Amino acid sequence: MIKLFSVKEKAKKDAAAANGKQQKTTAGELRVQKDISELDLPKNVSLRFPDGNDKIMNFEVTLKPDEGLYKGGAFLFSFAVPSGYPHDPPKVKCLTKVYHPNIDLEGNICLNILREDWKPVLTITAVIYGLNFLFLAPNADDPLNKEAAQMMQQSPAQFERLVAQSITRGCSIGGDYFPPCRGERSS
Amino acid sequence: MAVVADKSKRYDRGIRVWGAHGQEALEAARVCLLNAGPTGTETLKNLVLGGIHSFTVVDGAKVTPADLGNNFLLTADGLAASRAQVATECLKELNESVAGSYVEESPRSLMNSNPDFFRHFTLVIATQLSEAGAVTIDKICRQHGVRLLLLRSYGLLGYVRPSVPEQRIVESKPDSKVDDLRLSNPWPELEAYAASIDLAGAEDVLHSHIPYAVLLIKAAQQWRQEHDGQLPGSCAERTAFKDLLKSWQRHIDGIPLEEENFTEAVANAHKVWAPPTVSSELRAILEDSCAAHITQQSPSFWVLVAALKRFIEQEGQGQLPLEGSIPDMHASTQQYLELQRIYRAKADADAAAVEAHARNILEAAGRDPASLPTSEVKHFCKHARYLRLVRCRSLAEETEPASCRADSLRAALSSEETAANAALYVLLRAADRFHATYQRYPGSFDSEVEEDAALLKSQANALLAECGISGAGGSAAGGVSDDLVGEVCRCAAGELHVVAAVVGAIAAQEAIKLLTGQFVPVGGALVYNAMACTTSVFAF
Amino acid sequence: MGLEGRWRDIDYLLTRQGNVVGPGFEPGPEIREFLQNDCRVLVVGAGGLGCELLKDLALSGFGNIDVIDMDTIDVSNLNRQFLFRMHDVGRSKAEIAAQRIMQRIPGVSVTAHHCMIQDKPLDFYQQFHVIVLGLDSLEARRYMNSVACSFLEYDEDGQPDLSTIKPMVDGGTEGFKGHARVLIPGVTPCFECTLWLFPPQTKFPLCTLAETPRSPAHCIEYAKIILWPKERSDDSFDADCEEHMKWVYEKALARAAEFGIQGMTYQLTQGVVKNIIPAIASTNAIVAAQCTLEALKMVTMCSTGLNNYMMYVGTDGVYTLTTPYERDEKCPICSAGVSYEVSPSTTLQQLIDGLVADPDLGKHLSAPSVSYGSTNLYMRGALEGQTRHNLEKPISELVDGEGSVIHVNDRKLVSAMKVRLKFNGTNGHMET
Repeated sequence: MIKLFSVKEKAKKDAAAANGKQQKTTAGELRVQKDISELDLPKNVSLRFPDGNDKIMNFEVTLKPDEGLYKGGAFLFSFAVPSGYPHDPPKVKCLTKVYHPNIDLEGNICLNILREDWKPVLTITAVIYGLNFLFLAPNADDPLNKEAAQMMQQSPAQFERLVAQSITRGCSIGGDYFPPCRGERSS
Repeated sequence: MAVVADKSKRYDRGIRVWGAHGQEALEAARVCLLNAGPTGTETLKNLVLGGIHSFTVVDGAKVTPADLGNNFLLTADGLAASRAQVATECLKELNESVAGSYVEESPRSLMNSNPDFFRHFTLVIATQLSEAGAVTIDKICRQHGVRLLLLRSYGLLGYVRPSVPEQRIVESKPDSKVDDLRLSNPWPELEAYAASIDLAGAEDVLHSHIPYAVLLIKAAQQWRQEHDGQLPGSCAERTAFKDLLKSWQRHIDGIPLEEENFTEAVANAHKVWAPPTVSSELRAILEDSCAAHITQQSPSFWVLVAALKRFIEQEGQGQLPLEGSIPDMHASTQQYLELQRIYRAKADADAAAVEAHARNILEAAGRDPASLPTSEVKHFCKHARYLRLVRCRSLAEETEPASCRADSLRAALSSEETAANAALYVLLRAADRFHATYQRYPGSFDSEVEEDAALLKSQANALLAECGISGAGGSAAGGVSDDLVGEVCRCAAGELHVVAAVVGAIAAQEAIKLLTGQFVPVGGALVYNAMACTTSVFAF
Repeated sequence: MGLEGRWRDIDYLLTRQGNVVGPGFEPGPEIREFLQNDCRVLVVGAGGLGCELLKDLALSGFGNIDVIDMDTIDVSNLNRQFLFRMHDVGRSKAEIAAQRIMQRIPGVSVTAHHCMIQDKPLDFYQQFHVIVLGLDSLEARRYMNSVACSFLEYDEDGQPDLSTIKPMVDGGTEGFKGHARVLIPGVTPCFECTLWLFPPQTKFPLCTLAETPRSPAHCIEYAKIILWPKERSDDSFDADCEEHMKWVYEKALARAAEFGIQGMTYQLTQGVVKNIIPAIASTNAIVAAQCTLEALKMVTMCSTGLNNYMMYVGTDGVYTLTTPYERDEKCPICSAGVSYEVSPSTTLQQLIDGLVADPDLGKHLSAPSVSYGSTNLYMRGALEGQTRHNLEKPISELVDGEGSVIHVNDRKLVSAMKVRLKFNGTNGHMET
């Protein structure tokens, strides 16, 4: 226990901030600063801060898979980091319409570390690697876009063709149009 | 209709704790409060907010300035008016659907003049009574079958003592429950279902959506076949069991596919060798003499315990009735629901068997076998594993030297963990003796605090001596420390609002437990030590 | 009839010497005078805990209380928020609570602030001796924590400067369980030191919601997360709007019926969507009274204080546990950090080089990045290109001068290191 106040002297709380200048940052923001300063991105990923370099709680990530079915495409994601970070995970949406078993047409992404398996020790880098992995190894067993998953399982060749076509030229699949989303060749 | 809707909204947050049936029990409760000091009004405040049926305040005092410094449920306008009346008015403001009345008479005199007064209540909350008064009201309440809570706020010391001869709890709502899945001993239907699933032949999607319970049943079965009917016992065997599970996973080029259901199966493998057990509490209930002798008067709880016992000996083959619910598992909707149906069907069948026993038992006792609703039997069976029983000794038994548990008191006084709070328990009783001797509480006058401390200490030592405990050696020898004696005198029986608020709120929790029959009430005297922020429960 | 003798019981505690008291306790009538006339206490939240706290503080002798809450009164508050009545529904919690306390307890002044905690400047929080938190979200707790810790200064020996400590008391409840804790920045752990105490919210995998729902909760989450944005993208979902909640319920009910899932209710829908924590009057009252008692002890030293966390569990008998949690010495929010002397003309590059070359600090650094509040001065990683130009600038142009605190990040550090800059003529000397 520690005595903070001397009641008898009626200690007035003078502005003690005289010699301390500390700009206000939230704990969540401090942690994102650390994450961002230590980002170690694969070459096929780029990051943009649309609101400026000092507004880092919202940013966009572009992913250009350099192998796998989605090679040649460019996929844009929005990251919104809540103030509860890292207790709460970042909110990530896929802004590019993509024919993928684990991403639905509204841009919702089924990635375990974004929801049920999020842990505060995880970082923005971990999430980006998770997204990258989703494009290298789509998982048809636990789909969010069931039609895409069925196609991937039942006619892998056809699925591959549709993915390639949707990326390069754009196409309609089952009544939904997927506009082209070609990425310039990265290296 | 509008009233019902409003009530369910108003009480929503409570109903989420004790359910609609718990709320109904509260709304039927008629509560009597003795003494409208802050300890009493805070307790009632919490219960009125929760929606009891009605309350009656018994208090013979007038509102004084000191009351206004520690009691929120009195008004300055009410100075010099009846404390019972002013408190009742303030309490009624809190909830228009709760009826309130008052009796302007001291609890002591009402207990003496009209003990029958108390028979109409569901619960009596007696606050700030001395030990003698507490013993009296306890006798009255036990005689009339009325539940009782005894409360004291005394300086930085609080005391909550439920007094019910027997609280029978079906819904004890334990914090952690072990899932009742019967993985190592499935009943025929469950076994057949597990066998019907062809692991090797399943398509990939199906394979990765077989509920982990089925995987574990299959693994346990195979393990037993390969190990003379034994389950994995050693650490190495348990690792080998998990490896067996992993060996069933699908592979691509020798690399196992990620299958969530297998991950879950490995994580839940312990459920195979560590199924839920029969607790010592439940064992004691099953062996209780009340279950052995069902009479005309036996409460349905004991009839059902007797039936439960027969079920365990007969159909259950040593097992309790199945609880029937299963945790979420990675699975397809259809497979999960099918599994859920199989568990529910077995739970229903078990409950029906218990019900048949119960009807036989009732009939043998000369009672109407149809008097026990099926819904009650099902409810009982669902919670059977976590039944609890709390029996509080009467206050007379606890306080009379001939019947008090001196050994427990001695042990509590000498254990480091409980010494301070046991000493406070002794000092509270000693303060009452002090009051009986000197007609004032120790420390009432600034000039006499030190002298009173010496007198209080000798009262405490006398009390201990009556129980055969020598207090002469101080705290080391199981006595009370001078520091605590001093603290008890310092506060001079003052009823600090914050301490009263803690005591009143603990009491309200205990009242809700007693009234709803849910959760487990304190089985003895609870001492709250506001200096150290600790509590202890003593069943002396 | 006057009110003399009103504070008799509390005066026993404040005017008499005791054996079990805090360091430097000096009993006397001045203590209650201080509580009533000089001491300023802020209650954050006027809900279940807040209502109790206001009452408990006022009846413990605190005479000047402020309360801040942005919420309005709802019917479902009335089972525990005893200062509110049915006819108050829709009105400001802070304002009604303040009014009711002042009506009931003569001489107590309660000032209401009907706004968000983030709306108030630091100066506002600076004026209070003690801040008592009656909150139900981790987010708000972390915010108040960063506010309280922002006042904290350490002396040359790394000891907290007592005059800069803004103590807080925190309470929380769920059903029959609750906790009370004391936060003395620089002395006891802050919320960030013990973030792990707060369990994460359960979240279901999206694919389960979309394809293999197994429980009513799965159907409810599907309706809210997937269906709402799809079918009502023009409306932003408001959990307090009954029409919105009913819509989610109807959709969830239909989905449950489609899959054969039983047990869907409106009550459950509300519970899942709003993540409702069951709350009852009694538990709030236990926790709030304990918190008030600790605030009283902290200000007056009239009894020994809680060190530093008390847990209350009322489900199986009554079980309590007090635990002295430990501070995280490296906590980016409340740790001492280090003082570092530089000349105002030092460039950011020179500063960084100096930190890395420093015999003590350098051990923890390999490739540091530097921020000043929300401003990223030099960031490796994604912002390296955009922040490189700052390296050549003198540090005095980048921060607000003497005493400014910068945050240094590095892979070798578990969390950001606070560095307090001291300007003088010599370069690169460190004092810890």
